[in-house]
Amino acid sequence: MSSTLGVLSDAERLFIVHGVQDDLRSDGRACEDYRHVEVETDVVSNTSGSARLRLGNTDILVGVKAEMGEPDPGRPKEGKLEFFVDCSANASPEFEGRGGEELAIEVSNALQRIFNSKSTLDLTALCIIPGGQCWVLFVDVLVLECGGNLFDAVSLAVKAALYNTRIPTVIVTADDEGQQEIELSDDPYDVKRLDVDNVPLIVTLSKIGHRHVVDASWEEELCSLARLTVGVTQKGTIAGLNKEGSGSLDPESIYEMIESGKKVGVVLNSRLKEALEKEENSKREKVGFLG
Amino acid sequence: MPGDSRRIAGPQDSRAPHWFGRQQETHQEAGGTRQDGRGDHDLRPVYLHTGVVSQATGSAYMEMGQTKVIAAVYGPREISRREEFTMKGRLCCELKFATFSCRQRRQHIQDNQERDGSLIVLQALEPAVCLDKFPKSQVDVYITVLQDDGSALAAAITCAALGLADAGVMMYDVVVGCSVRQCGEDQWLDPSVREEFRPEVESAGDHGMVTVGLLPSLNQVSALVLDGHLQQQTAVQAVKTCISGCQGIYPILKDCLVSSTRRNVPSLEQKSGQTSTDGQNGQT
Repeated sequence: MSSTLGVLSDAERLFIVHGVQDDLRSDGRACEDYRHVEVETDVVSNTSGSARLRLGNTDILVGVKAEMGEPDPGRPKEGKLEFFVDCSANASPEFEGRGGEELAIEVSNALQRIFNSKSTLDLTALCIIPGGQCWVLFVDVLVLECGGNLFDAVSLAVKAALYNTRIPTVIVTADDEGQQEIELSDDPYDVKRLDVDNVPLIVTLSKIGHRHVVDASWEEELCSLARLTVGVTQKGTIAGLNKEGSGSLDPESIYEMIESGKKVGVVLNSRLKEALEKEENSKREKVGFLG
Repeated sequence: MPGDSRRIAGPQDSRAPHWFGRQQETHQEAGGTRQDGRGDHDLRPVYLHTGVVSQATGSAYMEMGQTKVIAAVYGPREISRREEFTMKGRLCCELKFATFSCRQRRQHIQDNQERDGSLIVLQALEPAVCLDKFPKSQVDVYITVLQDDGSALAAAITCAALGLADAGVMMYDVVVGCSVRQCGEDQWLDPSVREEFRPEVESAGDHGMVTVGLLPSLNQVSALVLDGHLQQQTAVQAVKTCISGCQGIYPILKDCLVSSTRRNVPSLEQKSGQTSTDGQNGQT
């Protein structure tokens, strides 16, 4: 996938691989260190919830829109969650036209996989009339810049945007003939929020040489043949796992990677929660995009 | 998803009648054996056969219980589209469920699940194929699931690898797929469709399904997919069970390849002085 984003000379490759072997990467990090993360929520006013996240040079903007629709016949008492990922041509000229589609599908499938469980998000809270009307959350992910480790950045941004999402309260009333009517609350502050505590984050572990690193930059991604994306919840449960790339992995190293993915993921979850709560409680001016 | 205008599609909002009946219960009744009488770590009977599509360079057919998968391999042939020169060959995979293969009718156009499956199968096969032997050419693998009775993805991986081997594509090793369903404490190898992980009916807890693609003689894992929520220890345990399941299917695959070679090379047949059987039936 990201091999389209550039080429690396043999010397550069060797430098990175040897660095990883000694637990010192080219930007000074150790193998299990993340880059600096900046997150800001409520950045797009026309959405129900939004977040912008910067992880190193990777820049993601997520907008969540809540609309009303019909639930799936198989799951009449639940709302729906739809993911759309757009790799815009801003991020890389290769994404122009249909070029980014393959990567976009990969990312949205990864999101689908980690949300594909009842314990992730309480979808019954999105039900309005069982079998009739429900909230459909459209989660649109826009990739503005691609500087490696897209999956982790997208999952962080999606969780932040869902945390920020506010769904207006609706009241269902039945008239004399038993017809149900939906009434929207007049008060714009009369909203309900989603419980995102169990939403997992993706931790991608890239195998480089005999070791694995988290949060690979795009140069490091080019040196790695096999990656493992691990969904990790706050409590350390593994929610979704996928091997990517054209290489294969030794079973023993998979077990190690799952373990370090879990370790890193738990910390990442609690840091994100802290940052989001801190942002909400502070009265700081919005920084916006160029801050 | 837009419909295919060249085909007459059924009404978009039609439903199979079973939606209106009682939902099928998913797992075993309490007390040991599974619905089809297998033990928790038993595979279903496996049947493999090569050379089923005469037009293709190589092809394979696989049955795991009632799950039936057919794969055809074309190539290596020149890359048709004008693209930059590569010293490495390219592998293309397309996984498709036949429209009638599942309980719910599927569309003719590849849906998201099929695209996801295609990518998983592709990444499972790539480490096994010597792509540097086919500069500027591509190998196409088309896999059709004829009947889905659970573990279709695992069967697709095995079947595609067998097809590649039948096509004489140079490989480091074959790839064998196997699935495990984790349900609380229980671990079921090679789940049938009623045992498969369905997120919409699952309660919270340790639930999930793991699919592994293994290069058996190199002991390398080339595909690993986990759906659902599992504790770390359980996840690792499930992967281990999958690997042992793959090792169980491997001898059947080897036997099938040996017998298909005997079929194709009559001189070998005469030397050994006995007729070989078509495919093998096995149960571990």
